[in-house]
Amino acid sequence: MLAWGSLTKTDVIGAIVVIALLSVVPFVGSRYIVGIMTVALCYAIWASSWDFMSGLTGRENFGHSLFIGTGAYTAGFLNVSFGLSPWWGFPAAAIIAVLFSLIIGIPTLRLRGPYFALAMLSGAVVMQKLSIIFSETTGGQDGLNGLSPMLRSQVSAYYFTLVALVVTVIVLKFIALSPWGTILRAIRGDEATCQAAGINVNFYKISALMISAAFAGFGGALYANYQLQVGPDLFDVALSINIIIMVYVGGMGSIYGAVGGALLLIGLTEGLRSFSEYRLWVYTLILILILFFIPNGVIAPAWVRVREWIIGRSAAFTRRASA
Amino acid sequence: MSALLHVEGLTKRFGGLTAVKNVSFALEPGEITGILGPNGAGKTTLFNLLTGFMRPDRGTIGFDGVPLIGVAPHRIVNRGLARTFQLTRPFIGMTVVENVVVGCLAPRVRAEGHTEARARDMLDRVGLGAKANVMVDALSYGDLRRLEIARELVTRPKLLLLDEPFAGLGTSEIEPLAALIRELHKSEGLTILIIEHRLREFMQLVRRVIAMDFGEIIATGSPAEIVRHPRVIEAYIGRGGDDLEARLGVAPENARGIA
Ligand SMILES: Nc1ncnc2c1ncn2[C@@H]1O[C@H](COP(=O)(O)OP(=O)(O)O)[C@@H](O)[C@H]1O
Ligand SMILES: [Mg+2]
Repeated sequence: MLAWGSLTKTDVIGAIVVIALLSVVPFVGSRYIVGIMTVALCYAIWASSWDFMSGLTGRENFGHSLFIGTGAYTAGFLNVSFGLSPWWGFPAAAIIAVLFSLIIGIPTLRLRGPYFALAMLSGAVVMQKLSIIFSETTGGQDGLNGLSPMLRSQVSAYYFTLVALVVTVIVLKFIALSPWGTILRAIRGDEATCQAAGINVNFYKISALMISAAFAGFGGALYANYQLQVGPDLFDVALSINIIIMVYVGGMGSIYGAVGGALLLIGLTEGLRSFSEYRLWVYTLILILILFFIPNGVIAPAWVRVREWIIGRSAAFTRRASA
Repeated sequence: MSALLHVEGLTKRFGGLTAVKNVSFALEPGEITGILGPNGAGKTTLFNLLTGFMRPDRGTIGFDGVPLIGVAPHRIVNRGLARTFQLTRPFIGMTVVENVVVGCLAPRVRAEGHTEARARDMLDRVGLGAKANVMVDALSYGDLRRLEIARELVTRPKLLLLDEPFAGLGTSEIEPLAALIRELHKSEGLTILIIEHRLREFMQLVRRVIAMDFGEIIATGSPAEIVRHPRVIEAYIGRGGDDLEARLGVAPENARGIA
């Protein structure tokens, strides 16, 4: 592994602390809180998968809901229409989402300009329209209901989602720290220079989108299997935008920042319930303040500071101990 | 045909403008050659054609005995033809050594492994060893040029194209960079083609100059011959009437090259 990209011991300890905190949620929180947190973990999977493609390569994807929605509907169809076990939904959702990523990515990622971003956006919009039009198979506005639950209790669904998130982050972070990640960040820096270094830029961009789509589709199936329902709102532009904002708030290109951004914003939405009808206004104001005054995001830069502080303290401690 | 690079009848039009017009030349292995011409002469376009960033309207390019037309830029690099850009655009947000590691990851050399060690060795060679861990955003223009050369050299090119490597550099930076290029040429046996719009930088560096104007080759010869060539003088004086010395960077009467 490359030395400058490898994790410090402090990073690993930090991750373990966060996982431990998330693990105690079912012990201290109500059913309601556990439900909210399960959804938040799904958002974290979607946000980190967006960050893997767009945060690393800089090619922004304005239609991540395309992958989430196709993944969720794939899981829904297999379960409701074909009667397959909900577990089949996960690999199938990932595969179908990857197919969509190829349909959009191959023609548009080679082009400069906004074509890729717009194609993703329109892809999601078109799929939403189709899911409403073909209501006989898709259930139209109501979507597909009555998926059979994959796990019996809500708490086990929560832990399953948490494990899925941890695996997602480990895999994406591992790739981001490998030479692959170096190449993806170089593409963000300058594509022509990357080609001049002998790198097949299109191959790496398309592969990154495929990986991003696979995890987003998987996350869509996870959400469907938790809600036991899928609907056209999963293709919403608003969902895609929400995910982008989560990554911006978390800090782009770090993967774990996206997770923090998702948890923070879902938490904020819930925390603002006491503002009742002003809730959306306050939420929007806080977002604007963050995006305006902290353009690099909150979570990832904050962790970098904390890590420096911890490393500084432990170095001082070691010095004092050896003196 | 022993030439490393063989260009025949290369032509590129942009709408009504012919940026490169029927250009033919050959480079022998181990040669260090200059391309001279005023701004807009078509030098950068010629490099873009040779490296696959643009497709010519007409003409052929043979490199190491195989045709290059229609081959993607990254494939051309992996066949051993590397280039730098007139405007260097490093990988912002990455360290200096990471910038070079990307070159070590090119399929042509990736199997050699030890990417970071190779990158650091190359940085030592171009005089950037001490700045390996610095963010690239903090480098001076001269250092960026060295970085770009390092990133290309790790792909082990047979032919290196340098697009105005001295442009924008102070006089104190030019001579050390020229010395580096001479050193690389000698120790690696590297074939080099350098673009410059002033002749002065070529005097101690190249044996042969190809002069271009309006997309065409107007003269070929040693720097001392080129500076006296009537069409070169016309190309440089014809523009704005400035004196030749200021535009070429060398006075014809003082021209004494290495040839
Ligand atoms: N991509 C392009 N589209 C249109 N015209 C171009 C393009 N690139 C270069 N040109 C034109 O071609 C001519 C040669 O440009 P260039 O090769 O950059 O010259 P040089 O490098 O010798 O200064 C100029 O007139 C320039 O404006
Ligand atoms: Mg030029």
